[in-house]
Amino acid sequence: MPLRLWRKPLDSEKIKIPEGEVHVLKDRCKGCGFCIEFCPKEVLEQSEEFNIKGVHPPQVKEETVCILCSFCEAVCPDFAIFSVKKDCKGGC
Amino acid sequence: MTETPTQYPDSEPSDGIRIGVYVCHCGLNIAGSVDCEEVAKFAAALPHVVIAKDNRYTCSDQGQELIKQDIKEHKLNRLVVASCSPRLHEPTFRRTCEEAGLNKYLFEMANIREHCSWVHLHEKGKATEKAKDLVRMAVAKATLLEPQEENVVPILRKTLVIGGGVAGIQAALDLADTGYKVYLVEKEPSIGGRMAQIDKTFPTMDCSICILAPKMSDTGRHPNIELLTNSEVEDVKGYIGNFKVQVLKKPRFVADECTACGDCSKECPVTTPNEFDIGLATRRAIYTPFAQAVPSTYIIDRDLCLNKENVITCDKCLKACEREAIDFEMKPETVELEVGTIVVATGADVYDPASLVEYGYKKFPNVITSLEFERLINAGGPSGGHLLRPSDMKIPKSVAFIQCVGSRSEKDGHLYCSNVCCMNTIKDSLLIKEHWPETRIYVFYVDIRAYGKGFEDLFKRAKKDGVLFIRGLPAEIIEDRKTNNLWLIGENTLQKELYKINPEMVILSIGIEPRQDSDVIQRLLTLSRTSDGFFMEAHPKLRPVDTPTGGVFLAGCAESPKDIKDSVTQASAASARAGILMAQGKVTVEAITPRLLAEKCQVCGLCARVCPYNAIAVDKETKRVDLIEAACAGCGTCGAECPFEALTMRHFTDEQILAQIEAATEQDADKKIVAFCCNWCSYAGADFAGVSRMQYPTNVRIIRTMCSGRVAPKFIEHTFARGVGAILVSGCHLGDCHYLNANYQTQKRIEKLWKKMERLGLDKNRLQLAWFTAAEGEKFASKIKEMQSIVDSVTLDEIEKSKVIVKRTAR
Ligand SMILES: Cc1cc2nc3c(=O)[nH]c(=O)nc-3n(C[C@H](O)[C@H](O)[C@H](O)COP(=O)(O)OP(=O)(O)OC[C@H]3O[C@@H](n4cnc5c(N)ncnc54)[C@H](O)[C@@H]3O)c2cc1C
Ligand code: SF4
Ligand code: SF4
Repeated sequence: MPLRLWRKPLDSEKIKIPEGEVHVLKDRCKGCGFCIEFCPKEVLEQSEEFNIKGVHPPQVKEETVCILCSFCEAVCPDFAIFSVKKDCKGGC
Repeated sequence: MTETPTQYPDSEPSDGIRIGVYVCHCGLNIAGSVDCEEVAKFAAALPHVVIAKDNRYTCSDQGQELIKQDIKEHKLNRLVVASCSPRLHEPTFRRTCEEAGLNKYLFEMANIREHCSWVHLHEKGKATEKAKDLVRMAVAKATLLEPQEENVVPILRKTLVIGGGVAGIQAALDLADTGYKVYLVEKEPSIGGRMAQIDKTFPTMDCSICILAPKMSDTGRHPNIELLTNSEVEDVKGYIGNFKVQVLKKPRFVADECTACGDCSKECPVTTPNEFDIGLATRRAIYTPFAQAVPSTYIIDRDLCLNKENVITCDKCLKACEREAIDFEMKPETVELEVGTIVVATGADVYDPASLVEYGYKKFPNVITSLEFERLINAGGPSGGHLLRPSDMKIPKSVAFIQCVGSRSEKDGHLYCSNVCCMNTIKDSLLIKEHWPETRIYVFYVDIRAYGKGFEDLFKRAKKDGVLFIRGLPAEIIEDRKTNNLWLIGENTLQKELYKINPEMVILSIGIEPRQDSDVIQRLLTLSRTSDGFFMEAHPKLRPVDTPTGGVFLAGCAESPKDIKDSVTQASAASARAGILMAQGKVTVEAITPRLLAEKCQVCGLCARVCPYNAIAVDKETKRVDLIEAACAGCGTCGAECPFEALTMRHFTDEQILAQIEAATEQDADKKIVAFCCNWCSYAGADFAGVSRMQYPTNVRIIRTMCSGRVAPKFIEHTFARGVGAILVSGCHLGDCHYLNANYQTQKRIEKLWKKMERLGLDKNRLQLAWFTAAEGEKFASKIKEMQSIVDSVTLDEIEKSKVIVKRTAR
């Protein structure tokens, strides 16, 4: 068996990966689900709640993995979602 | 020269066949135990023999002159020389024939030295009788010989080099500098191979990448080299001089405009452990494997990249790249190449020590491999050249090296020595001493093999610098949970005492093993592999970089574990061998390939199924069978398989072999063993028995075929029908066949015959199958001795019974 990679890279703490924060304007959402479908990091999911249009807006499933590609912002036909760089108060 | 009075047969042979027989004394080598004069007299009386002589040294200039004169004077049109092995002097006497205007395929040899005088030193009477039989067999075959024309195949002056490690790089550069076009196919994104990962190189302690990088860029820039990286060979058709190769070029998604500025990579939000650093550093989805990579063009790992198929969700790199070099639309491409020669330089893998549980690799963080060490000690590596313990990122004050991990072991890993690990460890220990002289270093070894130029000096230096060499590998490594230090427990076999040592880090000196995907290249190029799994050379001594497939050569670790110097030497050798072919521009193929008798062929396709070289194309629709002569190696397996006798194996025809069988069994058949031996292993093994003067019974008569696959069941049946005592069919060991796998057909056929014999109530013991290497003379001799007892115990009844039954049931 040839060697396989298994170690945690020595520089893993040092490598900076952009971290994003996703904001949903719930009542603008008409429930097309594009953002959920296309988010490459699968950050979003459908929520249980109803908005004023009577649809389930998306909600953040796991924000820590958002890498700020902002594709959700680009695909949303209703400008109901956007992402910003994470506020790094706690250090990131 | 002692010359017997030449005897002529009473009348002129009616069919115009005029054979000259020359019996060689070879000084006393033959004449010492064979009465050569008597053999010559005997020969003179054989049908078609016009002249028979015995002389002291037939291969000498005078000996050859005499033959040439006789050919002219007596209008000889066949020549038989009874002397040594055809493996030695067949080329000599073939040349003699040609010089006398006789087609060289009208020559036949009787091996009365290696197969007779040398193995029956003390039985002159019997040896002489055997020599007569051997001459009778040769004359019988010679009578049926026919002149042959050798085919000339043109050689394209282009080469494919597979694998861009140091061996492939060297081969490509040498051939390109000679003036040939070279395609260098590398499956990784960059050339460089293992050597690019190594820090310093033993024995000179040169910086590895510093001496490799200039070669890499020369390769990338050379006008005669076309580099195909991130590419794999998918298909190879054709034959020596004329290979048609399909290469799959996988897309990089970054075009040549890339200047390797790295702006894209900084923006890429996804990461993974870097293969080049064995996972000790991180890379992005858009990356270059290492700073000196050739080509330097970045590449996108689409499995990691956020953009799947046609949806571009992330455009960070696209935006960052000022040169607009990134192109997500790139598609895989199949490139068709036509080349005359191929160099295989696919290198080797390293052994994964995780399977040796007792050493705790992957369990204890501070147990690392020698390859990880190379990256850690490298100034450009993930730790900036600091030997850091993975557990706490501290520099260890004591380290232990364990040798032969995955090598030289009956239990785990491989049986062979990986060749570089001893010197690599000595190099590594000196590197540690250079940076941190206070470090305590232990090396646990089985034997230290410092055999090469400058190696012993390096070993001495390490000992002088205080590296402790302890003989005896630790039985087990135990981790101290608190400190993550390691306990090594074992026996010092020199001092016969137990040791228990507690270093802060352990480096496993891992072995080199065949690439896991070797079978792909093996299949595409019809190569063989040794039992170790490395590609097999055509001859270990005399053709060490050739393969059994014409036009294909080997270089570097693909052939066996070796260091950089040997890899480079071998690469230059391989390119010289390929260069010779291409400079000649053409090659002649021995005229031993089959001819199709179209009127007998039923287009059953059985021949194509057994041909190891795909040299037979069968089209059932158009009812066409085509023999691709240049791809054929002449093993004759097809000829043995054809149920309709539609294939004639030139120079080894059915009629010729049957005539040899009849001649061998003309007298006292029931006391004899007829042995079919393949040219490469078992005939050579019998030769070796002769060279080593191993004595065995005189009653064996050897018939040479190129491959045991040529031995058709009907030959065996015919031999039994002639009332022989026993038959031996022999070839190269399974897996070592000179014709790839043709001897598996032999095995199948013999097993079938055994079943048939059982069914017919015959003693199947009388048919033996055995495999020999060219070095197993001893084994050959013992096999004949063993078979002697079979012959002794066979009753005349049994022989008569088999004669009758076989005649009745033979196809
Ligand atoms: C830990 C370690 C330390 C060493 N230290 C030293 C040292 O100090 N001094 C020394 O002299 N030697 C050393 N060696 C040995 C040295 O690495 C080898 O001799 C050398 O790398 C062999 O070169 P190669 O070209 O045959 O094979 P490789 O370097 O393995 O290159 C083979 C290339 O072929 C490519 N390839 C494989 N299969 C295919 C395919 N199917 N299609 C296309 N491409 C393919 C691979 O990607 C690779 O780039 C060391 C080896 C190891 C493991
Ligand atoms: S597109 Fe892919 S390669 Fe480029 S930055 Fe994004 S994830 Fe990385
Ligand atoms: S002789 Fe061997 S290689 Fe040639 S066509 Fe027949 S089976 Fe194939």
